[in-house]
Amino acid sequence: MRMLAVFAGLCLVFVFVWERVDMVRVGYHIERLKHDKVVLERERDELRVKFSALSAPGRIAKVASEKLGMGLPQQGQVIMVQSGPDGAPFPHAAPVQVQIAKNDFSGGRK
Amino acid sequence: MAGPLSRGRRYVVLLLLLCGFGVVLFRLVTLQVLQAAELTVKADRQHRKTVSLEGARGTIVDRHGKVLAMNIEVPSVFGVPTALDSPAKTARYLSPVLRVRTAELERKLRQDRGFVWLARKLDPEQGRRLERMSMDGIGVVMEGRRFYPKGPLLSHVLGFAGMDGAGLEGVERRYESHLHGEKRVTVLQRDALGRTVFPKGLTEQSPAPGHSLVLTIDEVIQYVAEKELEEAVTRTHAKSGTMIVLEPQTGALLALAISPRFDPNTVSALGPDRWRNRALTDAYEPGSTMKAIIAAAALEERVMRPETMVFGEHGRMPVANTVIHDHEKLGWVSFAQVIQKSSNIGAAKAGMALGDQRLYQYLQAFGFGQRTDIDLPGEAGGLLKSPRDWDRRSVASISMGQEIGVTPIQMASAIAAIANGGVLMKPYLVSEIRDTHGRVLKQTLPQVKRRVVSPETARTVTTILEGVVTDGTGGKAAIPGFRVAGKTGTAQKIDPRTGTYSASQFVGSFVGYAPADNPRLAMIVVIDEPHGEAWGGTVAAPVFNRVGEQVLNYLGVSSNEPVKLAMASESP
Repeated sequence: MRMLAVFAGLCLVFVFVWERVDMVRVGYHIERLKHDKVVLERERDELRVKFSALSAPGRIAKVASEKLGMGLPQQGQVIMVQSGPDGAPFPHAAPVQVQIAKNDFSGGRK
Repeated sequence: MAGPLSRGRRYVVLLLLLCGFGVVLFRLVTLQVLQAAELTVKADRQHRKTVSLEGARGTIVDRHGKVLAMNIEVPSVFGVPTALDSPAKTARYLSPVLRVRTAELERKLRQDRGFVWLARKLDPEQGRRLERMSMDGIGVVMEGRRFYPKGPLLSHVLGFAGMDGAGLEGVERRYESHLHGEKRVTVLQRDALGRTVFPKGLTEQSPAPGHSLVLTIDEVIQYVAEKELEEAVTRTHAKSGTMIVLEPQTGALLALAISPRFDPNTVSALGPDRWRNRALTDAYEPGSTMKAIIAAAALEERVMRPETMVFGEHGRMPVANTVIHDHEKLGWVSFAQVIQKSSNIGAAKAGMALGDQRLYQYLQAFGFGQRTDIDLPGEAGGLLKSPRDWDRRSVASISMGQEIGVTPIQMASAIAAIANGGVLMKPYLVSEIRDTHGRVLKQTLPQVKRRVVSPETARTVTTILEGVVTDGTGGKAAIPGFRVAGKTGTAQKIDPRTGTYSASQFVGSFVGYAPADNPRLAMIVVIDEPHGEAWGGTVAAPVFNRVGEQVLNYLGVSSNEPVKLAMASESP
């Protein structure tokens, strides 16, 4: 009986020590994961800023005009079409607005 | 074979052991009792690490969620001069990475201090290069830095945040209490290697980041406004330019452009004159654009009707020992033509028919002489004197836009009131405040300030203002396919040297809205001190035209013109 009690006591001590050691180990692991999370979040934020800068209207307009040779449509060249070719509304469909450019485009403002 | 120890030797061993234990006991008492307090503090200092945590500053986005300002963590570099062997060598290595002169770095590293900042809030790429270098006595800490990814776009509205992260101008300043993240100090335990043993804050939440702001601004409309305004200011060699685009039905700002612009990412080299939001702070004499407001008041009070005949005095009318001139010598014209031809004499007569009290009441009702209470800092109230301070010429002067100081945002709000059928709306910029999970904490709804004129009067004024564009001074504002209503203004500036109106310095402006029958946009364009021809119809109306056309197309607003499409026949 005494032996059993000593054994149980030793087990408790072992569990206690093991728990403390494991807590520290898990603590290190959590810290490492937190650090990884911070690094990934930092990377995500950097990419967001980069994406936002690259999608700025000014940059897109510059690339469109300088690299792709595009220009703004001249006055009157953009027409919103809300009806069918015969002048009647499109049947069974909600009004759809379509932007089309006339064919006589001869270069717009840049 | 060694025999048993003699008694004497046993005593010697015992004595040595006792001495040893005595030394240990003495040291134990010294450490645990005598130096207990001091060593406890030292141990705490080594084991505990006090960390100041701050949640990230909130993001600012446009009405479609496009990022306009956000925080990212960037490296700041510090040196420990006392731990360096060769400050000169270290400075030479660091100089190209930090982009700081070697001599300056060396001077800092030679200081007799334990800590010195070498460069703060660098680009992330610089931080990565520094990590690869890994030098003794040089450390890197991460700090939040505000980025404005669109550069100068919307700079006067966004403002900027300082080195410590606090908002100093614009929306950044106005909404500082919402944008800044939570600050918290926490204590962590660390081991001999400096690693955190157990994250004490495991059960605690990280400090909450600041709230995000959703603006009413549309970045595409903002870009179009800035581009066209910049072109006009450059073309006319003007001192500056201001443009506001707002939704007349709600008062929501779609764009607010100021020229010249500045980049809030590199603001330190600029002065307040460059980043001041002139649309709110600078009052100017509006000139003939005020006639649109006078017309609304006169029609509402029925002292004038569009067809009422007004004598133009052939371009010269004496008032209170002074003479009011018109640029065009008019005889009898209708009141509608008075506005369309921008007759000073006709407008003065309308003002006189109203009388000083009613004129003053309408000016106040339209919001002049008081702040619009837009959610931006630094707004001026303009200048509207009380009638008891007016002289005998004041009614005539104010009716043609002199003796009164208005800000562009006041004039834009007033014209929007006519556009939307007679209701003055409070202009606003931030539509939503959201928490870090995207939940809406506060939503701004359009706010009616007051009704200023009846819908019938607003419609009549709109018809008259359409005439300004089709037959009057505002022809260059016309947008093919759309009905446009507006008014030109050309005001002489006061020469600060003489205190009289300058013959060479003008403010050219245009206020209007489109489509006139169902306004989607109300706009004001103000060009300050253009060189050469300075008429509002020449310098400001074309900006209205170009911005108006592009923005109406962008918004998908249908034109009034019937569309004829030639359908290609199918090939056999």
